[in-house]
Amino acid sequence: MVQILDVMQKALEGKPMSETDYQLRSFAPKVAEKVREHRIKYDPQNPIPSDNSQADELFEAGLELLLDVGAYCTDTGRVISYTENEIKRALKEAPAKLHFGEGRDRKHLVARKIEDKTPPWCLLGAGGGPCSSDRSFLTLVEGYAEIPETNAITTPAITRVGGMRVRPASPLEVLAAQRNAVLAREACNRVGRQGIPIMNSLATAESDIALAAALHPKFGMRQSDGYMICCMDPMKVDFARLNKVAVVLSMGGAIGMCFGPMLGGYAGGPEGTAVSNVAHHMMGILTYQSSWLLPFTIHLRYVASSSRDMLWVISSMGQAISRNTHLLSLNLNYTTAGPCTPMCLYETSASVTAAVVSGLSIESLGVATNKHEDRTTPVEPRISAEVGHAVAGMKRSDANELVKKLLTKYEPKLAEPPMGKGLYECWDPETRKPSKDYQVVIKKYKREMAGLGLELKPEMH
Amino acid sequence: MTEEKIIEDLQKAVLEYDSAGAVSAAKAAIAEKMDPLKAIEKGLVPSIETIGQKFEKMEIYLPELMLAADAMKSALALLLPLIPKGSKGAKATVVIGTVQGDVHEIGKNIVSSMMMAGGYNVIDLGVDVKTMAFIEEAKRNGAKIIGASALMSSTIGSQKDIVDFLVSSGIRKKFVVLVGGGPTTKEWAKEIGADGCGMTAVEAVRLANKFSKGR
Repeated sequence: MVQILDVMQKALEGKPMSETDYQLRSFAPKVAEKVREHRIKYDPQNPIPSDNSQADELFEAGLELLLDVGAYCTDTGRVISYTENEIKRALKEAPAKLHFGEGRDRKHLVARKIEDKTPPWCLLGAGGGPCSSDRSFLTLVEGYAEIPETNAITTPAITRVGGMRVRPASPLEVLAAQRNAVLAREACNRVGRQGIPIMNSLATAESDIALAAALHPKFGMRQSDGYMICCMDPMKVDFARLNKVAVVLSMGGAIGMCFGPMLGGYAGGPEGTAVSNVAHHMMGILTYQSSWLLPFTIHLRYVASSSRDMLWVISSMGQAISRNTHLLSLNLNYTTAGPCTPMCLYETSASVTAAVVSGLSIESLGVATNKHEDRTTPVEPRISAEVGHAVAGMKRSDANELVKKLLTKYEPKLAEPPMGKGLYECWDPETRKPSKDYQVVIKKYKREMAGLGLELKPEMH
Repeated sequence: MTEEKIIEDLQKAVLEYDSAGAVSAAKAAIAEKMDPLKAIEKGLVPSIETIGQKFEKMEIYLPELMLAADAMKSALALLLPLIPKGSKGAKATVVIGTVQGDVHEIGKNIVSSMMMAGGYNVIDLGVDVKTMAFIEEAKRNGAKIIGASALMSSTIGSQKDIVDFLVSSGIRKKFVVLVGGGPTTKEWAKEIGADGCGMTAVEAVRLANKFSKGR
């Protein structure tokens, strides 16, 4: 079994290569080669394909890609190579089930299969999106924790401390990461879900020192939370990330590597991006010692995961992984449109459907490309989770028809999406409910979804 | 070798992402005492513009864009030093990098390549670039434009540091500061006193064009 010391040894002794050569002259052409050899073909008519043989070819292509190019350590300038035996053993030994949380909120994340009736694990929240203040942070996380389908929270990121913007790897980031831990736990306590796990621990800690500093028990992080470490695209790692791995392993935490090969980036088009995603899953369990995975591919132009080609990537990658492994994989989705718009809800519905029927669980979500402060509410993740539960068990062919209908509602607007409203314009922190305007939007959306054949839970207010 | 053939070879080298071919064609241009500016303007620029347009339409992807830019850079390294000072050449020099504490490079690489396609002399400082390094390198290379990329909400503060440092040093007017990357917005650019925010690579080039003669 490849362990952290093995990874370090490979990083210190692997084949020397420049970073440019690795990504442009090794990784990129090899992805294209695998797409050709395995005849992977994007079909815009079927954003959720039902072709098992293509899913299996995609899996083989991803495995071969990792075998051929390995991962890359930017600090040593060396390739971290793995043997086929190491990769297959890591796949075999990866957990098919993990528990997160405490008390009545302690739940099991289990591997899902294509068209699985098991509801997806719902990691709900802001996906590390920026928020302007402690008040916004608490408002959002309280709202996420109150969603009945919430299995775990993905918090926003704190951007200011003492009125100052956070600076990376500085005391400001250390203090912000510590506050991230304290406030997230406090928000869950306030709504009576003390045991719920925080699984993007810690959104505010980009640097290794900030993560380590915020893990002191007095800040409230637990072994039963989920520890997310972001991979550098494509399949790269540095010492700071490996430091995070070593720290989390030392406390017995479960690492989830998140990775976002961009459609249009180093892996090329949809086919290459799907191959890259599959390879990243295997690279994650080896290099990042990950026991769960978090793909969040986004489109280079739209910075979101709801376009037709992106749905195909999510679905194809999910099918390849869930047919051929028991890895625990959660897809994170981004929308282009903002809160209080029907488009935002349609976008997340399509992405979640593509993921769930293809055997993935979900992290939902980044709203309006996840870049604007306080432009997200607890409504969007709630709707995503309701959709995730509703489509569990749906046939891929039916899901394909559903997302095609959804695409007709927003596809032409992806380049210029409506930004919607800010947090306090469409969410009341006192009543913990959406504004009247937003309630109208949600009810209309649910009627439309019912018209498309997907009955969602009735609105309670 | 005729000038037409050299121009054709330069064009082909960029379009085919062939650095060695670009170097060989640039050497041929020098051997034939061809006007280096003509070699750049007729040979390299049209092809890199074509590449930029194809990337914009997603007919090609990031690796092709970067390899074409690499090919162009290889030829420029030989041709630019031969252009007499004061001659018309690149539009302006741009110093670009990802800010301190941030190692995300894709957005920066795209903008860097598209700037080059837009006719700029681009000095790419890489990732995790200290505030002072942006400024020192801009001074050293006679750059008019500083491009600072940041992908994380925890790292965009470093974009402010660049502007603040220029202001405190009394040299703010000498440099145009453009910001970009995941969490940056036009409002943020305005708040920190940057000259603009490129929400896309195309917009970044458009902003650079607007400011290429300075602020």
